[in-house]
Amino acid sequence: MSEDIQVLIDDVVAKALAGDMDPINNIEDRVTRSKAKAALVKAKRSQPETEIKSKASEVSENSDVKTKDTIEHIVIASLTKNFSNFLDGEQNGEWIQMKAENWFDIAKHLKENEDLYFDSLQCNTGFDLEGGMLESRYNLHSMKHLHAIEIRIKVSIENPNIPSVESLWRVADWFERETYDMFGINFTGHRDLRRILLPEDWEGWPLRKNYEEQETYHGIVVPKVKEGWE
Amino acid sequence: MGVVHGQEMVLNIGPQHPATHGVLRLQVKTDGEVISEITPYLGYLHRCFEKHCENVTYEQVIPFTDRCDYLASMTMNFGYVVAVEKLMDIKVNDRVQHIRVIMAELQRIASHLLATGVFGLDLGAFTPFLHMLRDRERIIDLFEMTCGARLLYNYMWVGGLSHDLPKGFVEATLNFLDYFEPKIDEFENLLGHNKIFVERTADIGIMPAEVAINFGVTGPNLRASGVNWDLRKDDPYSIYDKFDFNVPVGQGIKGTVGDSWDRFYVRLQEIRESVKIVRQAIDQLPKDGDVHQSMPKKIRPPKGSIYSRTESPRGDLGYYIESDGSDTPSRLKMRSPAFTALGVLDEIAGGWLMSDVLAILGSLDIVLGEIDR
Amino acid sequence: MTVDYIFDFLTGLLGGFLGSDYLLLASMLIPCLAIFGFITIYALIVIYAELKVSSFIQDKVGPMGQGVGLHAGKWGLLQPVADALKLLLKEDIIPSSADRPLFILAPFMIFIGAFISFVAIPFGESIIVADLNIGLFYILGVGSIAVLSLILAGWASNNKWSLYGGMRSAAQIVSYEIPAGLSLIVVIMLAGTLNLQDIIKYQEGGIFNWIIFDNPFVPIAFVVYFISALAEVNRTPFDLPESESELVAGFATEYSGMRYAFFFLSEYANMFVVSAVAAAGFLGGWQSPFDGFMSTPAWSVFWMISKTGFLIFVMIWLRWTLPRLRVDQLMNVCWKVFLPIALLNIFGVAIWTVVFNS
Repeated sequence: MSEDIQVLIDDVVAKALAGDMDPINNIEDRVTRSKAKAALVKAKRSQPETEIKSKASEVSENSDVKTKDTIEHIVIASLTKNFSNFLDGEQNGEWIQMKAENWFDIAKHLKENEDLYFDSLQCNTGFDLEGGMLESRYNLHSMKHLHAIEIRIKVSIENPNIPSVESLWRVADWFERETYDMFGINFTGHRDLRRILLPEDWEGWPLRKNYEEQETYHGIVVPKVKEGWE
Repeated sequence: MGVVHGQEMVLNIGPQHPATHGVLRLQVKTDGEVISEITPYLGYLHRCFEKHCENVTYEQVIPFTDRCDYLASMTMNFGYVVAVEKLMDIKVNDRVQHIRVIMAELQRIASHLLATGVFGLDLGAFTPFLHMLRDRERIIDLFEMTCGARLLYNYMWVGGLSHDLPKGFVEATLNFLDYFEPKIDEFENLLGHNKIFVERTADIGIMPAEVAINFGVTGPNLRASGVNWDLRKDDPYSIYDKFDFNVPVGQGIKGTVGDSWDRFYVRLQEIRESVKIVRQAIDQLPKDGDVHQSMPKKIRPPKGSIYSRTESPRGDLGYYIESDGSDTPSRLKMRSPAFTALGVLDEIAGGWLMSDVLAILGSLDIVLGEIDR
Repeated sequence: MTVDYIFDFLTGLLGGFLGSDYLLLASMLIPCLAIFGFITIYALIVIYAELKVSSFIQDKVGPMGQGVGLHAGKWGLLQPVADALKLLLKEDIIPSSADRPLFILAPFMIFIGAFISFVAIPFGESIIVADLNIGLFYILGVGSIAVLSLILAGWASNNKWSLYGGMRSAAQIVSYEIPAGLSLIVVIMLAGTLNLQDIIKYQEGGIFNWIIFDNPFVPIAFVVYFISALAEVNRTPFDLPESESELVAGFATEYSGMRYAFFFLSEYANMFVVSAVAAAGFLGGWQSPFDGFMSTPAWSVFWMISKTGFLIFVMIWLRWTLPRLRVDQLMNVCWKVFLPIALLNIFGVAIWTVVFNS
């Protein structure tokens, strides 16, 4: 690679890290452009924490409402008035990490409080953090105030109990059944927790990282998931 | 004298049945002809989409997303690609944006044509269905001209598109739109204002707005209940904020707000709005620009997670992607709009007759591929 | 050809060789075989017509072929033959838990019901198998055998869906016979006789002597009769018993092969019967619309068949255009709309006739 091209690539990568993607996208030669992009990705990978922090600060800087008060701050402030000891560890401003115990009451508050009014649960995802922990993530959204928030609740594999919120947001009925089906998280208080996508008598929790398929199902051999393409 | 109690009959609709849109089993408890409870049984089409995505790279996920909602593949691709581009902070150029909008709106027209045609077919009107298929064929011909595939396109890639528009695409699209606009009016007169059709669908399966929001119903089903919520206007992604179009909302013209006729009519209106958007997009299409310009050589998003939503013809399509810095996703969840639409069936269909249940199911427009993934 | 005519002919021919009992039997069998042949040929033609008409309405081409022997014949003319052959050669499946005698009996009964109505239909001037004095009444009465057989089919299949179909169809046919019968009373009142040949002879003299133009109330009666007839033969918009998208095939779900063919053969035969009765009663039967022109006995067959064919075409047209009515809406329309209209019609026609003496 010649020196000018290397200089050019360093220059555009620096500009892109500062937030300006146009120099990279305007490079005429396709080969050079892709090399520049590869260098950019490499540079970005080597500084993950600052990346996340800068994204969060960008969001809060560019939001119209207030510079310091993101929706996460507002929600935590409102909840601290009525509940105590519900946060689980360090918060990083992108999502709220909560404990499982008070979840139902907190959810009721989030849904019914006039300033927050999260009246729609957009999505509920399960997640398998390695190291014996499962997580359930809720994306809440308000149709009235148009703000959105993500809440995560961690539980351990030995005792995966989370209170169910399906009496507040009826959509959680099927979402929680699916998370139970795939991960084995037990939602206490659910009116009818059973498997939804797999047959009722299937064994195991498929989306966990250490899942092994059962050998046979009613006499039919269960094929194993192949790695990559074979 | 006491009340006469008949015995409740438990009946299975499906899984092999001409009117359930895919392989779906509905267990129905009826008393004579009146339904008391419906329990859907899913999972007949479960293909472990989410588990597969954890083993393949980000580009290889795109054909998988095609196969989830096979009747609206372009918008499935679109949603995924928008999510990954947000995660990696890639900006695509204007030509790519415009082509993506043209394809997504044409796909919306095709999907709504099929949805309304099949709704008529469920009620016994055989002819409008075939007219709709004839028009949908012409849209599929346009897609085939561009990317070679008729149903599962694999067209929108991260950072760009797989093929640029071929020569003659713009004229062919404009010809199609000129041919098609009078057909929507013909269809509306043939099926929509037909007295028998109105009797079968007006005031049936009413979904109030609070029930819809609480059950997470989105898209045309929510708009038919009177809530003006369209992601293309309220939370714009791509370049939808540059186009001028209305959002049709159900008004209870033939019955109450939120009944099955409203859901049908909102879809019909949306077809007209999509035609407007395609015309504007073709007008504003930049002449030059390389569709492969912003495509990264290796897709390796930084560590992080994102939940992004786009508007598919059935509603709010959400992708939750968690990346751990490698080139395969660590968790990919697709929040499909038809999943929540099927969940509300029990709530709105209790107390109606058997024939009405199939009318309500048809008006909700579900695709089993998306529900079961 | 009435039975008497053939009997006389055969006696003249073979009177010496065989006894008169055998000759009577033969003279009854020959017209029945002729009718049977007619029904078969008519079924082939109407199936082809349905396929082609529906294709043109739906902007398709329908069955097409390149020539006899290839595909389905030129313009698909061999398609109905292929359909019939396929149904004949299919495996005959009887579900093990079905009620065997009733299951086998049901298609026969429905065909008998359709077949014996044919003996009283006038095909042309003096071409009728049995010129009954109560012709119209006989056809209405005998057409109800279909109800019995539909219930039998639904019950004997031992299948919840078929049961639904059978129950619905029984309710529908029984209810719609009433407006149909009441509308025909208008015809009987004006012509003064139940004999179908005499009703047609009453309408001679050109198009304006047809009963439908006699009275402003009669077209209403015609429309009511036609729609009730649609309901009686289970055609859309009243085809709930066999509604494909809801109950798979309704009462005929468990039937396969030739038994299934019998159900649909008799549906087409019933269509012919009710169209022929409408044509004879309201549209002048085998009378030519031009006074004296084209009214020889040979032409009379042409007029009868073409009027009936036109009404069958309208039935096919309606099937492919309109969606289906729901059960309770169907019953609503019958009891709350058609029945009062039919009753009022009778009064209207009677009063008009008395006042204007026409």
